Amino acid sequence: MSKASLEATVDPEKVQGWITKIGSDTSAAVPLLQAIQSEYGYLPRKAMNLVLEGTEINASQLFGVATFYAQFRLDPVGRHMIKVCHGTACHVQGADRLNTSLRHALGIENPKEDTASNGSYTIENVACIGCCSLAPVMLIDGEAFPNLKGADAQRHLVKHAKSKGEILPGQTGEGDDQSADEKEK
Amino acid sequence: MSGDMVITMGEGTCGIAAGAPEVTKLLKERFPEATFKAVGCIGMCHLEVMVEIATGGKSWLWGNVNKKNLPKIVRFHRGQGDLPEAMLIRSSDTRETERSQYLTRQTRIALRNVGELNPTSMEQFRARDGYSAIEKVIKGGMTPEQVIDEVRIAAIRGRGGAGFPTAVKWGFARGAQGEPKYLVCNGDEGDPGAFMDRSLLEGDPHSVIEGMLIAAYAIGASKGYAYIRAEYPLALKHFAIAMDDARKAGFLGHNILGSNFSFDIKIKEGAGAFVCGEETALLASIEGQRGMPRIRPPFPAIQGVFSKPTIINNVETLANIPWILKNGGAAYARIGTEKSRGTKVFALAGAIKRGGLVEVPMGMTIRQVLEEIGGGSASGRPLKAVQLGGPSGGCIPESLFDTIIDYDAINATGAIMGSGGMVVMDSKSCMVDLARFFLEFTQIESCGKCTFCRIGTLRMKELLTKICDGSGTLEDIATLEELAERVKDASLCGLGQTAPNPVLTTLKYFREEYLAHVTDKRCPGGVCKGLITHTILQDKCTGCSICDRYCPVNAITGELKKPNTWVIDQKICINCGMCVEVCNPDAILAA
Ligand SMILES: Cc1cc2nc3c(=O)[nH]c(=O)nc-3n(C[C@H](O)[C@H](O)[C@H](O)COP(=O)(O)O)c2cc1C
Ligand code: SF4
Ligand code: SF4
Ligand code: SF4
Ligand code: FES
Ligand code: FES
Repeated sequence: MSKASLEATVDPEKVQGWITKIGSDTSAAVPLLQAIQSEYGYLPRKAMNLVLEGTEINASQLFGVATFYAQFRLDPVGRHMIKVCHGTACHVQGADRLNTSLRHALGIENPKEDTASNGSYTIENVACIGCCSLAPVMLIDGEAFPNLKGADAQRHLVKHAKSKGEILPGQTGEGDDQSADEKEK
Repeated sequence: MSGDMVITMGEGTCGIAAGAPEVTKLLKERFPEATFKAVGCIGMCHLEVMVEIATGGKSWLWGNVNKKNLPKIVRFHRGQGDLPEAMLIRSSDTRETERSQYLTRQTRIALRNVGELNPTSMEQFRARDGYSAIEKVIKGGMTPEQVIDEVRIAAIRGRGGAGFPTAVKWGFARGAQGEPKYLVCNGDEGDPGAFMDRSLLEGDPHSVIEGMLIAAYAIGASKGYAYIRAEYPLALKHFAIAMDDARKAGFLGHNILGSNFSFDIKIKEGAGAFVCGEETALLASIEGQRGMPRIRPPFPAIQGVFSKPTIINNVETLANIPWILKNGGAAYARIGTEKSRGTKVFALAGAIKRGGLVEVPMGMTIRQVLEEIGGGSASGRPLKAVQLGGPSGGCIPESLFDTIIDYDAINATGAIMGSGGMVVMDSKSCMVDLARFFLEFTQIESCGKCTFCRIGTLRMKELLTKICDGSGTLEDIATLEELAERVKDASLCGLGQTAPNPVLTTLKYFREEYLAHVTDKRCPGGVCKGLITHTILQDKCTGCSICDRYCPVNAITGELKKPNTWVIDQKICINCGMCVEVCNPDAILAA
């Protein structure tokens, strides 16, 4: 599957359902976008237009809000989401190396890109997720992995990909699991 | 024999991240008759997964439990094996251990229930006197003024960072005109390295709700918002369950406890903007707008959400309130120092042996927190500083570790108490890199309204990046200092006003590190990528080739199993450090 096909198919009835449930006045802007994003992983243009048609919210407010808050994204995402914590505790304990080794495994070379070319995984940096004593931490599809080194992050990714039948387009240190485990001890 | 056995699992965010669900599953298979209890964060997050097993009138608290070592405690509890000392935190038989000191040195008021009860059990909350403070207030016929007086006697200052006296703020809103009034709980917790409010919201949501009820009663608010950041799914979940249960029990809604006081709460999920923790930005965000601060006055107490009188209190402030009403303001005021009463919760993280949540009386020294509770350095390398207050705060060097925890004493160092993030640095961390990290954070998070905050922080970040890359000059340091003052002066809200603090305090206490980067082109902590090189120590290399497989840019070449053939091409190497991490014989030197 290529990246272009990651565009979500938007069901207008669903969007209408959220509007009915959450509200159509201007204060509903943030929760409506949150509902859309949690369904599609990003804000498809079509869903945004439906919100503009069905509520009192105008385009300047809606896009203003969508681009202001870090939670929202306008680009499609891969089938799985990796969130790497870059809070203070994770930063001082080497969170950068998690990105380096994950991106290497996913074959993402362009620093501006965040999704693997086969649409398998997207990497996002997030602020503190609240378990700083276990830093550095990452989440794959919401599951947390604590106390990571760069190589550990890659190993968890390899395992995850195997279990989901995903192919990692980049290069991994696979095959030396054992010796890297030993280093940990 | 496991019939009377009660197994208590820590199932806070850290516990789950460390693997509590798997351990619970295995324990249920081993001890099917036991009763299982899930509690919130006890605060000893470094020892997760934690399991407490009580049976036959005795109890044992085990730490760092995992799939591999679990059989040891299972054998012990079946009477088939020795006590696994290494995993024991404390038991009803042992005296204090070095590890249990982590808990005994604390004074837990805000955290009184966290880790002690199932956060979503109304029954357990009631059994620990939950909602008895609001009952005392309403059924005991206390007037709102009497409630405010009690809080004034306690002399508690807001725990969200600014330290403004809570009773004074409530007094403003009590007297303000306009209906309805609003009470907002600020659970945005934006400091990226702190999780006090997360633990409270997910580990004891009812206490926060009870604090909101009392505050609402005092100021005459009928509507409430709980603004909780989206990055805390468990907190959002537990808070929503607790709200439902409180409504069913008649603590939220119309005519609470048969009085004419009505109050209800709505949850607003934060969408990931640090500036939304600032009160006027938070109000804009609740109204569905971009979270941009506005000029005060009018203060929110006079004109807040939807232009109605609004009080915004921090989660931890609110969690203290029921205790104060129940035990009396005077009891609270007896703890702490002259100008800073009570306790403060800190999230201890970084280069510390025992990280987690700690609540200590004001007046304790930073050194006591780090050594007696935190157990000192994790790596054995000397500690060199702590960073307090996150991006708005500053660092305190080791030479000032005897500073006491007190708003004024900490301000005098140039740092701030902040909301409670305490990140510990040892000799292998770089203070310039830390300052750069925070400036990058505030620059991204700046809402863009004020020129100096928007562009000044960007220029500061660029200068710091230049210094970290090794191309900085002495003049850059001077420019940095000048910009810092300007950004402080010309910013509207706390974000811009405090953004330069990390730079100013690192320059004040660690100027020599800046100079090393600029004049010697050296990073003393060995962190800044532009100032270190990676080389292979030929006498240690075994030729295993692991480094080659992990190097993201293929900078390493050599012949498999042939030592003395492996080299790093410095032109290609990006100094990411992956190779150091994976090399077994420690044959790669970063310097
Ligand atoms: C940039 C910025 C971020 C803030 N973030 C928070 C926050 O995450 N949580 C919080 O309680 N207060 C935060 N504050 C402080 C609030 O503006 C406000 O002072 C506080 O919520 C008041 O509650 P308190 O009096 O109980 O401390 C922040 C302030 C600024 C300027
Ligand atoms: S100081 Fe910064 S964050 Fe605050 S209002 Fe000005 S630009 Fe926005
Ligand atoms: S530091 Fe990174 S880039 Fe350089 S050789 Fe090691 S793994 Fe490769
Ligand atoms: S990992 Fe270490 S021992 Fe193995 S080839 Fe690389 S430098 Fe040599
Ligand atoms: S800094 Fe990463 S979890 Fe807090
Ligand atoms: S989450 Fe369990 S001790 Fe912190």
